[in-house]
Amino acid sequence: MQVAVANYIALSAIIFMIGVGGVVARRNPLIMLMGIELMWNAANLAFIAYAKAYMSNAGHVFAFLVITVAAAEAAIGLAIIVIVFRRAENVDVDDVAVLKG
Amino acid sequence: MPQHVMGVEGVYMPLFAIWLAPLVGAIIIWAFGPSLRSWGGPIGCAAIAVSFLATLASWNDATRQTVAGATTLVGAHQSLVTWAKGFNVGLLWDPLSLTWVLIITGIGFLIHFYSMGYMAGDKGYARFFAYMNFFVFAMLTLVLSDNFVGLLIGWGLVGLASFFLIGFWYERPSAVAAATKAFVMNVVGDVGILFAIFIIVAVVGSISYADAFAGAAAHKFSPSLLYLACLMLFVGCAAKSAQVPLHSWLPDAMEGPTPVSALIHAATMVTAGVYLIARCWPLWQGSADARELVGIIGGVTALLGAILGVAQWDIKRILAYSTMSQIGYMIMAVGVGAYDAGVLHFFTHAWFKAQLFLTAGLIIHALNNEQDVRLMGGLRTRQPFAFWSMTIATLSICGVPPLAGFFSKDAVVYDTLLRGHPELYAVGVLTAGITAYYMFRMIFITFFGEYRGDVDPSNLGIRHPEFAGTPAVAEHAHEGFDEHEHHTPVWLMVAPVAVLWIGTIFAGFLNVGGDSSPWHKLLEPVFGAAISYPEGTAPVSELISSAIVLAVVILGVAIAYVRYGNAGALRDAISRLREETVWMPAILVHLFYFDLAIDALLVRPSRALGFLFGQLVDPLVIDGTVREARVSAVWLGHLFRSFQTGLVRAYALTIVFGAAAFIVYYAIVAVH
Repeated sequence: MQVAVANYIALSAIIFMIGVGGVVARRNPLIMLMGIELMWNAANLAFIAYAKAYMSNAGHVFAFLVITVAAAEAAIGLAIIVIVFRRAENVDVDDVAVLKG
Repeated sequence: MPQHVMGVEGVYMPLFAIWLAPLVGAIIIWAFGPSLRSWGGPIGCAAIAVSFLATLASWNDATRQTVAGATTLVGAHQSLVTWAKGFNVGLLWDPLSLTWVLIITGIGFLIHFYSMGYMAGDKGYARFFAYMNFFVFAMLTLVLSDNFVGLLIGWGLVGLASFFLIGFWYERPSAVAAATKAFVMNVVGDVGILFAIFIIVAVVGSISYADAFAGAAAHKFSPSLLYLACLMLFVGCAAKSAQVPLHSWLPDAMEGPTPVSALIHAATMVTAGVYLIARCWPLWQGSADARELVGIIGGVTALLGAILGVAQWDIKRILAYSTMSQIGYMIMAVGVGAYDAGVLHFFTHAWFKAQLFLTAGLIIHALNNEQDVRLMGGLRTRQPFAFWSMTIATLSICGVPPLAGFFSKDAVVYDTLLRGHPELYAVGVLTAGITAYYMFRMIFITFFGEYRGDVDPSNLGIRHPEFAGTPAVAEHAHEGFDEHEHHTPVWLMVAPVAVLWIGTIFAGFLNVGGDSSPWHKLLEPVFGAAISYPEGTAPVSELISSAIVLAVVILGVAIAYVRYGNAGALRDAISRLREETVWMPAILVHLFYFDLAIDALLVRPSRALGFLFGQLVDPLVIDGTVREARVSAVWLGHLFRSFQTGLVRAYALTIVFGAAAFIVYYAIVAVH
């Protein structure tokens, strides 16, 4: 059965908002990273859905790009978190506010 | 008139040597002045000598004619910098600039040489030569420039240099006041030229002379705009060349050392106005109204300067007013379109006026800085060389044939008649008579009769020595009276004056021969048909005109002789001079109240305006605005500081709300 593009987009929006909620509401940076991961995936879902609907490969290309960038971002994010943990013995993003300019 | 593109390829070293040697001299003396001490003079002289020799060496290039297409170009051109299209800066080397550079560097060298004697022992000896070299550089910049901006730069630098030199003895309040007055009046002229440049650039889109003149020839200027441009240029001329009503700085400028008076106020700077009009003659050819105005102001200045010269007691002020009067002649000549006659009068005047000033310097130096002619007298036997030198130069300035002044003054006076200005002719003749009168008055009072230097000044009616021109502070104390007893080598001062005799006597012969004279041939490529003699328009021939002028001059000398020179006048000179001092008309003593009028009309309103701005506008409007701007900046800083928490999640939330706001906005736009 054929699923309409609008449904995929609605699902994508819901996943995105869950990700936003995770980033904004939680203090644990690991959870925040997972929220960001959700947002990336929501974006990917939208790309792929549009690519299929409009029979264009551009969406696939962008999805691969997003996957690559997400991997890099997760690596950097985890590295930062490890370093912060070594210094502060706990990981609370609000404590990182001491870095404000 | 197309841009000069020929003549010189690449870098033309002699022209740079002419232009920059004085600057190099000035910098060296300025930088090493205290340690150079007595070497400052020779170095300053050497710099000018280099410049002069380079001038002689490049004479041929200035007069060379090249045919480019349909037009004949004269001289050489050296481009320096290109700022933008139409803003090319360069040097122009043609017969007109050659004439001026010859005088500036030639007579300038003699005056530098003389200064080595005159300024010896002064504690500012090295500084003096640095200023003098700088002045020559500024003057050369003015004359060599090929565009209006370069001209204005030179014009301003000359004003600055004259400020330094007039106020050289800065410990005297009168010298500082005179320097300030000269500078302010000159700045008025600078602003005039600046406005003229604005007009020219607005019309032809270029600052170069060639483009401006081509624009004038092609009638790009509307008549009123051209008149306005000429008028603005003439404001500059009037300020620099001491024309009415901006003349009053020139006599005051006699506060400077005498060589300064000779260099600036006789030979070079004050004639810059003549140069400007001669250089910009295509503009003036296009505007008959502007020429009319220039001619009238020149005539008024010539006459007024002569009348004021009659009432002076300070030997340098007498010469200063004669300078003003003679420049009036030059301006009158260029005003009626006789550009070559005006430039010729500049040329001869530079010789005899330099000689007059330097000779006056010999007297002042020997008399221990006494400048009041009432306290001189009988110097004929004490200083025979000064007497003969002064007499020759005076005969020349009065226009006695066959001395230089005769040819140039006659050319100026007769040309006014040839070009249909009988009223200016009358002024010229009358002024010649008055000139003869006051110059011989000075000769008789100074050189004949008994020496009055030991007379109590109050016996001569001198009540206020500070107003009579006597220096308030002796600049450098000299011992002894007779010039032969001086500690300075007198030949340093006598030799340049002796050289000046040559020009004072012979310079006028350049103009013999009408259209085929050397002078006409030299300048014809510059002025073209504008200086050709119109045929048969004068009611009298040149010979009769010369005879009329000569008769008036002899009359002037005769009156001076009767009043000051005959045996009776010489016998009771003291009582006569006292009588004259007391009964001198107030209007002459106060110099026609020009300073008073300028004070009342310009200085006081300006002061009032300044007070208004200083007390009200500045503290309230300007300061208020600035204060408000500061307060606003601080408040904005407070506002934005509160956003910068360092809380990552708060930032994220802000971004989300922002993104949401965008989405909502576009959603609404899409719906409508």
